[in-house]
Amino acid sequence: MNNQPRDLFPGALEMMILRTLKVQPLHGYALVQHIKRASDDLLQIEEGSLYPALQRLLKEGCVKAEWGISSTNRRVHIYHLTPTGTKHLERQVSSFEQMLNGIARVLSPVKS
Amino acid sequence: MSWLSRVFHRRRFHNDLSAEMRAHLDEKIAALIASGMSSEEATRTARREFGNVTLLEERSREVWRWPSLESFVADIHYAFRMLRKSPAFTAIAVLTLALGIGANTAIFSLVDGIILRPLPYPHSDQIVYFEWLNKTEIIPDLSVPEFEFFRDHASSFSAVAGFQGVVDEELNQGPSTRWLKAGFVTDGFFESLGVNPSLGRPFGREFTRENGASAAILTDSLWRSAFSADPGIVGRQIILNNQNYTVTGVLPSGFMYTEPADLFVSVHLGHSLADEGLNTDVIGRLKTGVSLTQANSEATLLGRQFLTQAPASQRQNSGTLHLDRYQDYLASDHRETLLMLLSAVGLLLLIACANVASLLLARATSRQREISIRLSLGAGRRRLLQQFLCEGLLLGVAGAAAGLAVASLGVFVSAIPWDLPSIDRIALDGRVLLFTSLVAIAVSIVFGLASFFQTRKLDLNNALKDGRVSAARRSRTGLLSALVVGEVAISLLLVISAGLLIQSLHNLFQEKLGFNPAHVILMHTPFRPTTTDAAIWNLERQALARIQTIPGVQSAAVVSVAPLHGGGNLPTQRDGHPEDSIGGTEYRSISADYFSTLNIPVLRGRAFEQSDFTASASVAVINETLARKWWPGQNPIGDRILVGVYQGHQYFSAPPCQVIGVVADVKGSRLAAPAPPMMYVPASLGSFNKSTDWVIRASASAGLASSLQNAVTGIAPDQRITVLEPMAQLINGSASETNFEALLMSTFGALGLILTLVGVYGVLSFQVAQRTHEIGIRIALGATRRDVWRLVIGKAARVTAIGVVIGLLAAFGTTRLMASELYHVQPTDPWIFAVVAILVLLVALLAAYIPARRAMKVDPLVALRYE
Repeated sequence: MNNQPRDLFPGALEMMILRTLKVQPLHGYALVQHIKRASDDLLQIEEGSLYPALQRLLKEGCVKAEWGISSTNRRVHIYHLTPTGTKHLERQVSSFEQMLNGIARVLSPVKS
Repeated sequence: MSWLSRVFHRRRFHNDLSAEMRAHLDEKIAALIASGMSSEEATRTARREFGNVTLLEERSREVWRWPSLESFVADIHYAFRMLRKSPAFTAIAVLTLALGIGANTAIFSLVDGIILRPLPYPHSDQIVYFEWLNKTEIIPDLSVPEFEFFRDHASSFSAVAGFQGVVDEELNQGPSTRWLKAGFVTDGFFESLGVNPSLGRPFGREFTRENGASAAILTDSLWRSAFSADPGIVGRQIILNNQNYTVTGVLPSGFMYTEPADLFVSVHLGHSLADEGLNTDVIGRLKTGVSLTQANSEATLLGRQFLTQAPASQRQNSGTLHLDRYQDYLASDHRETLLMLLSAVGLLLLIACANVASLLLARATSRQREISIRLSLGAGRRRLLQQFLCEGLLLGVAGAAAGLAVASLGVFVSAIPWDLPSIDRIALDGRVLLFTSLVAIAVSIVFGLASFFQTRKLDLNNALKDGRVSAARRSRTGLLSALVVGEVAISLLLVISAGLLIQSLHNLFQEKLGFNPAHVILMHTPFRPTTTDAAIWNLERQALARIQTIPGVQSAAVVSVAPLHGGGNLPTQRDGHPEDSIGGTEYRSISADYFSTLNIPVLRGRAFEQSDFTASASVAVINETLARKWWPGQNPIGDRILVGVYQGHQYFSAPPCQVIGVVADVKGSRLAAPAPPMMYVPASLGSFNKSTDWVIRASASAGLASSLQNAVTGIAPDQRITVLEPMAQLINGSASETNFEALLMSTFGALGLILTLVGVYGVLSFQVAQRTHEIGIRIALGATRRDVWRLVIGKAARVTAIGVVIGLLAAFGTTRLMASELYHVQPTDPWIFAVVAILVLLVALLAAYIPARRAMKVDPLVALRYE
């Protein structure tokens, strides 16, 4: 049932959502479009998988949802970043960078 | 939306989420169409890129799920459906539990109110009660000299006080009067109880001196009803029986003591005869920091000192002075009864549990397929266990709720024949509710496990193939039989206990009264303390003359105290024989027709004649017991009795009485006690008693009450009449305690029998249903209907017989614990044991009858077709 390409690693989608929402509050569809555009369509995201991720963030208090009207005049949830979400994003980003550094170091000798 | 509110608003949340995802898809489709796709292609692309909507929705929901809670809710839903699908099973199970839990709640309320909950006074554990202990008995009343000695010498108490009972007193307010109940207490009484008047203060010792002024403390309700809550009442004088009392205080509302009273007045402690009798309840409050053991060692010492120092006439008690916690003292009379009732309802609950467990076990057959399917679909054992626990819990909660309803009917509580300050507080409160819930939960867990453990041996293949489970059958049949054996044994024990109590009650009613209460009416007239003996006799004489003219009245008489209506005794001695002394000979002053009115036979000599009521010489008639005690094998007629004399010591002077006759024994104050030594004197001599009982034998009772009242009030218009009832009622009253116990125990015994009947029926029906196939084969192979009948009934008889034997052994071992509740019955009365054993056997066979008939009617063709 689940043969679609997965996230790179657990939490990556959440991190990207938070990063995107840091710029401006968005509703689900717009959020997906932003992420796709920002990654130049490199990341294959199953669009619907945004919703379980958003629910996880809602539960942890990283985002807040409010009813609003989208640009195409639909009644949708607009997601905002909360202060908890900002802190969470910072922590995630720094640990992600550490991980990237680590991976880069492991990989570099072979490269050279 | 908070996390919790999502859990509770699941449906709306789900709709919101679906709507949001649909909006996303719509928006995407619209965007794709705008970029040039056909609507069909756009829809397909959007759906592909979005992913599986249902799955994503499910995963979004899972984020919020508290897994155990949601599956718990699902289990409850499921359990509800399962219980609703078999209403007969559910009704019987819930009803069974309701009876068990309801009875337990009611009896626990009694135990809680009487034994466990503290008395309604501050630091009530510091209140102690003084009593004498000797080798054979506990003497709960002290004399005034004893009380004063202990009060003045003890150092362990912050207060010691005496209580001398409640007496009717007349409150005079100008021209109007009303009757009140006045409790006679010493100073320190309210300090001992720890109760402060809400107005004024308790009275001091100066009010208890002989010939001193009198004080009164009003209850809140009297203060409001008779004095319109006058805030200036303290210090004012009120008039009781034409005597002045200074009001020193008003009690807080809700104050209660063992005997209800409207006000408390100071008792005057002198050294008259009354003060040397054992007539004072003594209570005390321990000083803070003094333990009961410390106080008791002081009391032992003080008791010994009193016995060596006091003058001989005051040494009436012997043994050890002992302190008991007041609550324990009050509960002591009822502790055994309560424990007996508590054990009975505990056993009843056991039967109820066994019953529901066997019902669940039996029902499980019909669920075997369902369980097998669930197991084969991958349901975990844990999940199944959880579900069974859920069903049990639901049953338990439903049973507890219904049980609470049963208990709150209050049938039991309102029937308690005991006088206790805590009796009004017996209510179904939160603690009892908690107790019930705990019982329900414990029971439910047992049920859950009982149904679960039979799925253990389930053979999935066989179960799915034909819905029959052979592997588990044998062990379940064994377990079911064990449950039936247990039920039969316990209900046998309950019914035997009930039988013993019923026999006791029967014996009490068979007790030789010594008089004939049929068609006799009892009337009671209390007099003011100031009324003279001559005035009382005058009224009695005139009223009796009038009563005898009332149509239907055959004869009428007066007596100072009627049988079973109280007592009144005086020290007496056989003239010239100090060794023949009785501290309290029951003393009755009667009119001429007393013996004939109550049909009391004269055994020797003669009854009183009219001349005895005018003669100056005193005469007496004695009962058999007194004659046997002082004149064994001799003729007492002509001998003399000294009244007011004990072992040569004269307490007061009264003319010696010459014995003129002996009458048959009549009960004293208690039905369960043998007749006490008793003497009768002519009423013209005076009665030492400020009240009179009238006994009237009449052929018709219609309109008699008002004629009797008129006869008395026609002579003394303001004379009160407080009792006017058939004498038979007194006898019922004397047996009320045994009656109460017998009623409750028979109820429990009957419930136990009914539950056992249902249990045996359920189990046998199940077993017959299980063996339909086998019975079919037997019949096909030539077994007769008779053989089949014998097969089922024989099985029931074997199982029941084992239960009966175990029950009989248990009863032999335990019924002696209730010996003190029994009257003239051996705890192992073989007759009762045999009758009850047969009764239980018959009930079990009755329960087996229907399943046995069903087995007989098995059609071998139908039974084998399923093969």
